[in-house]
Amino acid sequence: MSSTRARPDRRAIALAAALATSTLACSRELPAPIPAASPDDAEPRRGGVLDLATFGDLRALDPANVSDGMAPQILETIFAGLVDYDADGKIQPDIAERWVVEDGGKTFRFFLRPNVRFHDGEEVTADDVKRSVVRALHPSAPNPYSPYYASIVGYADLAAKKTDELVGVEVEGKYVVTFRLTEPDATFLYVLAMLPLRPVCKSAGDRYSDTWHPCGAGPFKLPPDGWQRGHTLTVVRHEGYFRPGLPYLDAVRWTFHQNPSSQTLRFLRGELDVIKDLSAADLLRFQADARWKPFGEYDAERQILGEAMNVRTPPFDNVEIRRAVAKAIDREALQKVRAANLRATNQVVPPGVFGYDPTLEGQRYDYEGALEHMRRAGYPYDPVTKTGGWPHVVPYTVYKMGLQDFTGQVLKQQLERIGIRIELRVVNYPTFIALRGRRDASPFGPGFWMNDYPDAMSFLEPLFHSKSIADEDSSNWSFYSNPRVDELLDQAHRELDDDRRKKLYSEVQRILVDDAPWAFTQNYRFYTQRQAYVRGHRTHPMWVHDLTRTWIDRAAGSVAGRSILSERSFAALLGTSRAAAPARSPREGR
Amino acid sequence: MKRVLRRLAWAVFVVWATVTIAFLVNHALPSDPARMIAGQQAPPAAVAKIRSELGLDRPLWSQYGRFLRRLVHFGPSSFEKTDPQHGSCANAGPLHLDLGRSYQQRRPVTTILAERAPRTLLLAFAAACVQALIGVSAGVFAATRRRTSADRLAVGLSMLGVSAPTFVIGLFLQWLFAYRLRWFPIDGYGETALEHLASLVLPAITLGVFGAAYYTRIVRDEMIGELSSDYVRTARAKGLGPLQVTVRHALRNAMMPIVTMFGLEIGTLVGGAVVTESVFRWPGLGSLSVNAMLDRDGPLIMGCVVVTSTAVVLSTLAVDLAYAFLDPRVRRSGSS
Repeated sequence: MSSTRARPDRRAIALAAALATSTLACSRELPAPIPAASPDDAEPRRGGVLDLATFGDLRALDPANVSDGMAPQILETIFAGLVDYDADGKIQPDIAERWVVEDGGKTFRFFLRPNVRFHDGEEVTADDVKRSVVRALHPSAPNPYSPYYASIVGYADLAAKKTDELVGVEVEGKYVVTFRLTEPDATFLYVLAMLPLRPVCKSAGDRYSDTWHPCGAGPFKLPPDGWQRGHTLTVVRHEGYFRPGLPYLDAVRWTFHQNPSSQTLRFLRGELDVIKDLSAADLLRFQADARWKPFGEYDAERQILGEAMNVRTPPFDNVEIRRAVAKAIDREALQKVRAANLRATNQVVPPGVFGYDPTLEGQRYDYEGALEHMRRAGYPYDPVTKTGGWPHVVPYTVYKMGLQDFTGQVLKQQLERIGIRIELRVVNYPTFIALRGRRDASPFGPGFWMNDYPDAMSFLEPLFHSKSIADEDSSNWSFYSNPRVDELLDQAHRELDDDRRKKLYSEVQRILVDDAPWAFTQNYRFYTQRQAYVRGHRTHPMWVHDLTRTWIDRAAGSVAGRSILSERSFAALLGTSRAAAPARSPREGR
Repeated sequence: MKRVLRRLAWAVFVVWATVTIAFLVNHALPSDPARMIAGQQAPPAAVAKIRSELGLDRPLWSQYGRFLRRLVHFGPSSFEKTDPQHGSCANAGPLHLDLGRSYQQRRPVTTILAERAPRTLLLAFAAACVQALIGVSAGVFAATRRRTSADRLAVGLSMLGVSAPTFVIGLFLQWLFAYRLRWFPIDGYGETALEHLASLVLPAITLGVFGAAYYTRIVRDEMIGELSSDYVRTARAKGLGPLQVTVRHALRNAMMPIVTMFGLEIGTLVGGAVVTESVFRWPGLGSLSVNAMLDRDGPLIMGCVVVTSTAVVLSTLAVDLAYAFLDPRVRRSGSS
């Protein structure tokens, strides 16, 4: 009797032990990378499919409708532009082999390469360029970036539906197209290199349509059934691509809605070739492993994180309070919340963007200085008795599960030390976005911004120019208005000389550091881990990956996974005793 | 028949009330669908343009009236997908169902739901079967071995199943059976019927393990009650074997709460397998509705509400009808 009663208990213990063993095994060291077949051979080879994944999804695939974070890296592979950004974020020729700037920066004349082919075999001409521009800027297109091109002559009438013509874009020959602007614009080439105005095939027609099958002149093309919505998207090589011999890959495949842990498992099994959605723990594991580290790299920093203070509402209508906040934040301590992805900064422009000023004496942690500013503001705080300071609790609106949901906790403690007590109000992301852009709705909250093009103007104008203030949907979240900043930014917009424009940006930054509408705290750094057999891959400051020159050097049949369940734990899990099932080792069968 | 019609009318009312409340709540939230479409960095002018294009600047009553008018209406039996009037409709002859176009995907919501709903129903049904199979077996096993180690083990494991978060079970099964043992795909839905089935196993078990724990507890308690009843004692006295007594007599009488749970579980699972769908990248309604909420994609939210509320109401109705089938007393009280 006793033996029969005891059996299930033993099994229960064995099962629990197996579970515990297996769970612990999850945290063991990473398997070795799958090696390249011929690591010493630097000559690229054609062929292979590059597999990528993301936890996000793709909403639309049309240059005239770019509104989600996934679209740019895919659109970049399908649509070539007149100009593009190189790996350092500088403007480089693409379909246009050269251009001239005339009329003091008000006219840009582009000379197209002859014999550039769309995916349908048609040649790209100046007419196609103009048709694509009008299609993208026509009010019928849901193009969120249209206002970036407001300086093109005739844009206002087109946007107001007074005409269907855009007089500022002129076809001056089969391969010559000219853009005329209402005023000189130093950022025009940057915004032109963005995706919205890229030439689209004639099948796109003159007006935006949801049902159009994407077709451009980029290095890859989308086959008819290439996009399984919500699942995968596969692009295949465009054999008629105008750069001879490129791209090397046969195809690139993205898998959507894949959570980071599944991505990591698939990557370790060799089913994904490049991975970006790494959890903080996995990122550190890859970095700490000398076998994997050579195949990982940080992307260029394009994002500023900080604390946006609404200068119209108390207590931040007092510049001394804002200065106190900027000095009270210990950026090194905040950075530790996600050390692998954050880097402390003292200015608005990130290092990977034109206009970054390494010589700038930016905002820095200075506790005594912060207390002094509180005293000057009329709210002195005594850290010994913990009395004084701002007498009211300041609401800090933050969204659930964002990074700032965590950094906000640290911020709360740091500001308490100068007598500013904040209360975290956690809302969901859409509500957060709505509240932050609404006048007087939120006195304080996290600010974050990623550049749309690699120039300081992409940060300074939307965040701090007074023309970016609106009652709703204001991108100037601190509702900061300074005529001198406006004047300098307008001047920089017209300044075609890079050195002089950079000086103007530095002057704006100095004012912002002192006026402190934001406390600038961190740059976010994305990390890319690739397999050893992925060759020629580079991260790109705007398009995430540079896939045109990526090639695959994988030995046939390689599989990275390995079984780490011991025979005993596996047998226990199945409820058998010593007649253990063999643990499979795919590596042995390779 | 009259009872069924009455229940159907009630079901329609419940779905309408749910949809209306969801519409009002969605509208009351302090967020802007146009901003979510345009992206958080788009200039205000672009957001305003999208708001106007989608009719979001119209009054609430106007938007609601249009939604209800379009929801179920009559139209041509055949039409092109590019038809501006009916392109977003699904139809059965002249009867049209129109939930509009998704703000984000710009495709008819009926098309999106038609892709997703069968997959969710498949997962829900498979998971409910796994729950019932494991739960009923374990519950009967425990009840027939009351106060033994087997009983305590079954009860203990059911506690473990209830306590363990779904994502922990899911991640563990994924790690073990997909990554290490390679018996099943890590995630996804597959391309062929065989791949669909292989992809279904782990998410169905994940959901099943969680729900089976409840079944075990309920079936055990019900069976203990039935097994101590007079009719069971009589059956035993007549010489019936333990299997016949347990399965043919006691279990059948203990089925009522099981059927109730089965029906309600399917209804709940249709809208509620969010975590499991996310872990296993199962392209169902759960992940769709969460993303729709995060994007403030009004038409898609309403579409998901219509489908899930209809599923819950219909499964409840099916449970009611099953009562009548299983228990003649219910049938008789209904007819009287």
